Amino acid sequence: MEQIGLFPLFYFPEIGSAWLMGITGTIHILASHTSVGAAMLFAFLAYKAYKEDRPELYDYMKKYGMFLLIFSYVIGSITGPGIWYTATAASPRGISALIHNFVWVWGTEWVFFIYEVLGVFALVYFIGKIDRKTHLKLTYTFALASVGTLMLIIGIISFMMWPGTDAFFQTGSASDAFFGLNTFPHMFLRIGFMIMMSGVIGLVISSAIDNQELRSELTRKMGLVSMLGGFVTMLFFMWYISTLPETADALLEMYLPDILKTRIGLMVAFTLYFAVAVFLPRLINRPLAGTMVVVILIVGLWPGEKLRESMRKPYVAGQYIYSNQIISRDVPGKGIKGEVDKLAKVGFLKASPWIPERLRTITPENRLEVGHLLTKRACSNCHSLEKEGKFRPLMAKVAGWDAETIKTFMKSSLATGAIPYMPKIALPDEEFGAMAAWIATQNH
Amino acid sequence: MDAATLNLLRDPAGVPFYPVVFQALYVLTFALHAAFVLLALGSMGLSLVGVGKQKRSENWKILTPHLIQTGKFSVSMLILLGIAPLLFTQVIYDPNWYVTNALSGVWVFVFVYALIAGYLTYYWYYYANKKGSSASGLIGTVSFLILLFAGILMHNFAVESIQPDKWMGWYAPNGMVDTSGTNFHIDVVRLAFLVSLSVPVLGIFLQNYSQFLGTRSDIAPGYLAFTKKMGTKLAVIGLIISAVLYALWTLQAGVLLHPLSLATVAGVVVLLLLAMRNSNSYVTTGVLVVVALLISAVRELVKYQIMADIGYNIYDYPMNIDWPSVVMFLLTFVGFGFTGVAFIMTMAWKVGKTENGQVFDAENHAPTRKLATATLWILVSWCVVYFGWGMMTLFKNVLT
Repeated sequence: MEQIGLFPLFYFPEIGSAWLMGITGTIHILASHTSVGAAMLFAFLAYKAYKEDRPELYDYMKKYGMFLLIFSYVIGSITGPGIWYTATAASPRGISALIHNFVWVWGTEWVFFIYEVLGVFALVYFIGKIDRKTHLKLTYTFALASVGTLMLIIGIISFMMWPGTDAFFQTGSASDAFFGLNTFPHMFLRIGFMIMMSGVIGLVISSAIDNQELRSELTRKMGLVSMLGGFVTMLFFMWYISTLPETADALLEMYLPDILKTRIGLMVAFTLYFAVAVFLPRLINRPLAGTMVVVILIVGLWPGEKLRESMRKPYVAGQYIYSNQIISRDVPGKGIKGEVDKLAKVGFLKASPWIPERLRTITPENRLEVGHLLTKRACSNCHSLEKEGKFRPLMAKVAGWDAETIKTFMKSSLATGAIPYMPKIALPDEEFGAMAAWIATQNH
Repeated sequence: MDAATLNLLRDPAGVPFYPVVFQALYVLTFALHAAFVLLALGSMGLSLVGVGKQKRSENWKILTPHLIQTGKFSVSMLILLGIAPLLFTQVIYDPNWYVTNALSGVWVFVFVYALIAGYLTYYWYYYANKKGSSASGLIGTVSFLILLFAGILMHNFAVESIQPDKWMGWYAPNGMVDTSGTNFHIDVVRLAFLVSLSVPVLGIFLQNYSQFLGTRSDIAPGYLAFTKKMGTKLAVIGLIISAVLYALWTLQAGVLLHPLSLATVAGVVVLLLLAMRNSNSYVTTGVLVVVALLISAVRELVKYQIMADIGYNIYDYPMNIDWPSVVMFLLTFVGFGFTGVAFIMTMAWKVGKTENGQVFDAENHAPTRKLATATLWILVSWCVVYFGWGMMTLFKNVLT
């Protein structure tokens, strides 16, 4: 059979469909990391409240919990599956690969998630309605279940970066895919960030407490918690970086100077902020605390997620699904065959089941239309195709090139896989020609 | 779309367990999800009626915030329980799922943010009503409409997914490829049937509510009678409307006389009789659960038959069984899931039975205490196994 299992294409102009997932993912990370961090913080606060008989800490937990219900459990619980949805539209074969390898892991995470959501409702609404010892046990189980959700998802997102060893390709086993070199450093990196976020959100809540003494005490505590989290994050970030695949090196070299600049800037700014919380707690007010959350989202998380997405390139999952949805290699453990060679032989026009008959053969009349469609198919997962496209605009990269130069570049670089962070895209000569012809009409 | 193409769209990794298990889990979890969708719709809708009446009626003044709270919790649960059917359906019906999402990519994105906007507005409604704001009705209506719109989008995905013969025409109408992801298609009868179920579900919920609170001395008998009567009325009228729409839907889908469908009809008749008598609403709820499972199964039957008629049979899906992850799921689902949920549900039941201002002493209630301790130890053991398993796997793969 000449065809391969490609799906219809969805393309969102200017931004590109893959970035829709990135936006949803970034929001989700803020909400979900806060919720897991807060669960750990609650365990600590509930222990103190129980041991030291401090009812005012329960009031704080209740306020924090209500905030969490709205902020984390509305936004987080919707954007979580929302990532699936948007990823499905943008990279169907990438998400399918994850689902078919890890469905039981996701199912397990769902069980934890059920407990977590029921738990947060119980934890917030049962304060003062059940005895404190049982409430403490509930808080401990809630914290463990929340961390459990991280422990389960982390293997999947680490696999998206790479399986870590060759074992998965040979066995096809979900365990070998899940527990790669990257999994544990990635987990502890995120735990650090979660602890930090619990403190950062804790500062939003504590800064609005009327009782000045309690406000200062809790602001100090949240400052310390944030500092601890920040330190753990930085420590494990270094370990994490050392476990990335070789393909990420080229991109890291490219992005590292900028990363360092923004990360060092962020580190200094937040260290100062946390130090103020610890030593001058009265200076922390709600507008400042709220602004710092937004700063983390925009300056910290969004570039971080963009970087993580970039470092995965040219793959979207497990180093065998290219970003353009083509299977790059054999996976003997699963009986999966690479599709690059087949595509080189037959081309997209014959390989894709979603090409209308009138476009399957290139003619002078349809050449530009086919070129446009092929460019979307091959490039739009990573590049926006409009002249003023927002993310990795393709036209800017080939600005001013004529069709022949573009075609030569494609044949010498793309078709040979010479660029490590781009998929190897070998196509028949006439398909490259149609793509180059269309691009040359757009890049001036 | 022919069978060869549909089979080509299957994931080359195969499925990691017997397809029938995913199908059964899909039916089960969809029924659970749908139950909360319907309860959310029903309670939100009735709360909007209550907002208008609560100033004049003492009964509505008590009931309205409870309905709003029920809606709030139900939306959370429907999201939570909606994850599992999404997961299981894309394992065995991946061609349907992924094609649909690409064809309606923009709506997928809109769905996610509509749900967030609708739910956040719902919290606003909750607080506005708590403060006695005169705008609470308007805020609640806006929230209700946004959430309803999100539901209709989800319906659109489901409807598109079972029409593979139309996919190519939607993707490339007249041979012109359209990658905008703006396809939107609804089936009015199917949608009306599913939405109509919210009325009897709310009715039976109110019967339960009345029976549950009946043991509390701080609740006025007049209020209990009010909610009981309204519950029965809603359940009976709602069931009759739903039954008519069900017949229309299954007739249109060609499964009206299928044994599964006839069993559903029989279940609805029993449910109607029990709801009318309302001697024990917990028994009625038990039958409702069975009927919900049957409706979910009929829904799956419709999809299965459409696909099988084309030549796509989920039972032929190639398998690559992955035992360790299967065992992990089953043990966690049964061990932790059942124990943990039982712990919280027992506590919730007892707290609900405790009069206002009193504290439920769970430490002195042996079942709750044991469930709490068991949940804690199961979780600790789970974490130990996880790290042990992870380290062993890593050592094996790195050192060999």
